[in-house]
Amino acid sequence: MNNSSEKYLRLFGVTEAQMRQLVAEGLRGGGDWCDLYFEDTVATDLVLRDGEVSSGGSQEDYGCGIRVLDGEKTGYAYAESTAWNELLRAARAAGSIAAGSASGSAAIKAASIPGTPHSAADGSYYPIKTDWRETEASQFVPVLRKLDAAIRQKDSRVQKVVAVLSWQMSEIMMFNSLGELTADTRPVGSIIASVIFRQGNQIENRTVSRSFRKGAEMITDALVEELACKAVEGLDDRFDARRPKGGEMPVVMAAGASGILLHEAMGHAFEADFNRKGQSVFADKMGKRVAMEGINILDDATIPGNRGSLNYDDEGVPGQKTYMVQDGVLRSYLHDRISARYYGIASTGNGRRESFRFNPIPRMRCTYMESGRDGTLQDLIGSIRKGIFVDQFANGQVKIGEGDFTFYVKSGYTIENGRLAMPVKDINIIGNGPEALADIKAVAGDLKIDDATWTCGKDQSAYVSCGIPSVLVNKLIVGGE
Amino acid sequence: MLSQEEKTLARECLEMALECGAQKARVSFNKSSMDMVATLNGEVDKVTSCLDSSLEICLFVDGRFGSFSTNRTEKESLRGFISRAVRTVRMLAPDPCRDLPAPERVAKNAVTGRELEIYDPAILEMTAERRRQMALDAAVASSEGKGWKTVSEEGEYSDSCELSYIVDSQGLEALQCETCFDYGVETTIEDSSGDKYSAYWWTSSPFLSKFDASTCGKTALERAVAKIHPKRVRSGKYNMVVFEDVASKMVSPILNALGGYSVQQNNSFLLDSIGKQLFPKGMNLVDRPHIKGNTGSRLFDSEGVATKEHDIIREGVVQEFFLNTFTAAKLGMEPTVESAIRPALLPFSPAGPVPAGMGVDEILKLCGKGIFVTDFNGGNSNSATGDFSYGIEGFWFEDGKILKPVSEMLVTGNFITLWNNLLAAGDDSRQCKSKLIPTIAFKDVDFSG
Repeated sequence: MNNSSEKYLRLFGVTEAQMRQLVAEGLRGGGDWCDLYFEDTVATDLVLRDGEVSSGGSQEDYGCGIRVLDGEKTGYAYAESTAWNELLRAARAAGSIAAGSASGSAAIKAASIPGTPHSAADGSYYPIKTDWRETEASQFVPVLRKLDAAIRQKDSRVQKVVAVLSWQMSEIMMFNSLGELTADTRPVGSIIASVIFRQGNQIENRTVSRSFRKGAEMITDALVEELACKAVEGLDDRFDARRPKGGEMPVVMAAGASGILLHEAMGHAFEADFNRKGQSVFADKMGKRVAMEGINILDDATIPGNRGSLNYDDEGVPGQKTYMVQDGVLRSYLHDRISARYYGIASTGNGRRESFRFNPIPRMRCTYMESGRDGTLQDLIGSIRKGIFVDQFANGQVKIGEGDFTFYVKSGYTIENGRLAMPVKDINIIGNGPEALADIKAVAGDLKIDDATWTCGKDQSAYVSCGIPSVLVNKLIVGGE
Repeated sequence: MLSQEEKTLARECLEMALECGAQKARVSFNKSSMDMVATLNGEVDKVTSCLDSSLEICLFVDGRFGSFSTNRTEKESLRGFISRAVRTVRMLAPDPCRDLPAPERVAKNAVTGRELEIYDPAILEMTAERRRQMALDAAVASSEGKGWKTVSEEGEYSDSCELSYIVDSQGLEALQCETCFDYGVETTIEDSSGDKYSAYWWTSSPFLSKFDASTCGKTALERAVAKIHPKRVRSGKYNMVVFEDVASKMVSPILNALGGYSVQQNNSFLLDSIGKQLFPKGMNLVDRPHIKGNTGSRLFDSEGVATKEHDIIREGVVQEFFLNTFTAAKLGMEPTVESAIRPALLPFSPAGPVPAGMGVDEILKLCGKGIFVTDFNGGNSNSATGDFSYGIEGFWFEDGKILKPVSEMLVTGNFITLWNNLLAAGDDSRQCKSKLIPTIAFKDVDFSG
């Protein structure tokens, strides 16, 4: 135990001896793994609407989730307090997964799940200079007003602005049946502007955002200006945009937010729970070529201040950088402890959960592709006779078994004879994951990580981010008239 | 059920808020329990037990407003929480549109929480063993057919109870309880060439005695098998029939566009639509929140305002926006209710009265040829313009008969245009859902493939 652990033990009002007792209680009926996940989260949001910061609020969420594993089977329960009788109740409820396989021993078993695979991360991927909890709402009222004014000043067509500043601070403490005690303090700050524009009878909307695992020092004049510029960027074309003629065609995807392609088309299918159950379209492709040579796709928890970064995942495994595809060959799935044990390897630190109310499952963090050597975005566009270029997105989805994925495009252009032509908007694009990955024919050297408020919704919500250099996908199906 | 102690705690929070400086306040005590047993390939894979309670506190301080929530319900920590909350609200700008609803608008008939008869005390008798048995009984586990085999079957049985108790400083007191017994199953199969297909089916009821999950596994499996060897159809304009299980995707954007926040922010394709014939004659969208024994029925909304049976769109004419106290004041209009509680699209046929129970078979026959959409894959819509684009999967049909599965296709259009091409709305919505949208058909829809 060290001073840092003391702080978390005090916060949650438990001792290491008590946590050992809870683990023993969870394993009393059998089972081979038990872990505890304590969480104390405080969140605050402030909303500017019609020029005034006139609503806001905060939320507190506190509790402890207890998980018992019996092989690959999971028992899960939680308590919304750390009162001893509540924790005991949760431990017993979670332990019921192993009912009937009881050994009668209350001792912590020698788990077959590997322990923490390597030493904890050096320092933190999100050092906090100004703790959000030590700030007052009044500090941020001028920030939102400034953002509102900056957006309005940049374009006379602005009708309405809703700006939201929100932050969340979570204290996390984890303990498992190997006796490993891990703790983390996680910040997330976000600023979002939703703007309505009117030109004649035409109305357009746009939402822009930035989010980081940083303290309140992330709120700067530069960030406000960047967001305001982003809110009005390319607006003339947006009003002129039309639906293209739909069908199959080459798609050039701009660097940054186009990383949604990796998240939906490949990332989910690389999550090891889907592969362990044989459901993923990539279930039998480990070690095989899935993309052209030179393509590297990663999932990374170690980018300083990134929304998807983690010092430790929600099973106490240190944050790390995982190459899923290296030089075009599938090298790793994304593992939690259950799937790591199934495959006989170390966890990749992807065991994540929305809160103490959920058991951890394999989830992405920041998913991106490394820069390629196929020139610039202009080179990619110039190589296409007829196709489409896309640069802003809203959401995506994938069907794991079939591998069919979609993402919704908020803006882009048709490509005619190597040049951007007609602006387009509000179209869905659909493809098949393995086919699209194999169909990436060119990768530019301009990797960009997108810092918007990406949230993944696989059963539970999780903060993620994504990035990609400009890429050319040989063929995808584009919605249109 | 909610204990007297818990009710007292909610009232004490109100008093604390007023003592700390709020002029008005509303407190909601929400409590729920959920027990779940999941199966994988016919064996128990996961058990979960959840107990939640939280307090949501809305404060009106010196003409300012804030909303706060906590799951720390110890009295000593609550006082500090509320005191800090009042201090935070004082830092915000005043807003004269923020207020509690007028006392005459709030529900007065939600006293026991059981008035709508959607609470089944049988939930109290459920045991861990019985839940396991129900989950195992519903599972089909592995099976094999000509040219395919099951990869996995994931089933999930759960029962839950949700209670909502709401009080405000103007005398509102309302309680609602609802139980739910639920089963869902996702089956993945693989054909002889290794291609995988997944399908889902589910059922739900507030009552254990009416809950029957025995055919879910079989239905999910049949739906997955039906998808084998899909084809793409050439891009073009076709009739589109949308299966009732996913048809709410075509209605939700209309409900969102009629929401007060969307209208007030001009972020709605139905601005200035009240009283206008924007949809076809014969289209009727209603709200039926008071049907006893039906999932999702409610006597009050989150402000405590009494819900009402009302028309949303009558014979194609928009009747009202969904306006809570705040959005109504912002728009200078009379408040209504904050959202549709149990929206229902009434049956429609161009040929006159709709035969009772008209469903997929009759509608496919009516349409002749087109694409029968059984699921959506992503996509979105533009709330300001009503433009949409969704991924779809389903079947190509001719002469009213399903011929082949289709996938990797997109449907694109505008909601006003789409609904004005309405061909039919069936009478087959399932009562286990809170949005009662039947199978619907539209003509001349753009498909890309």
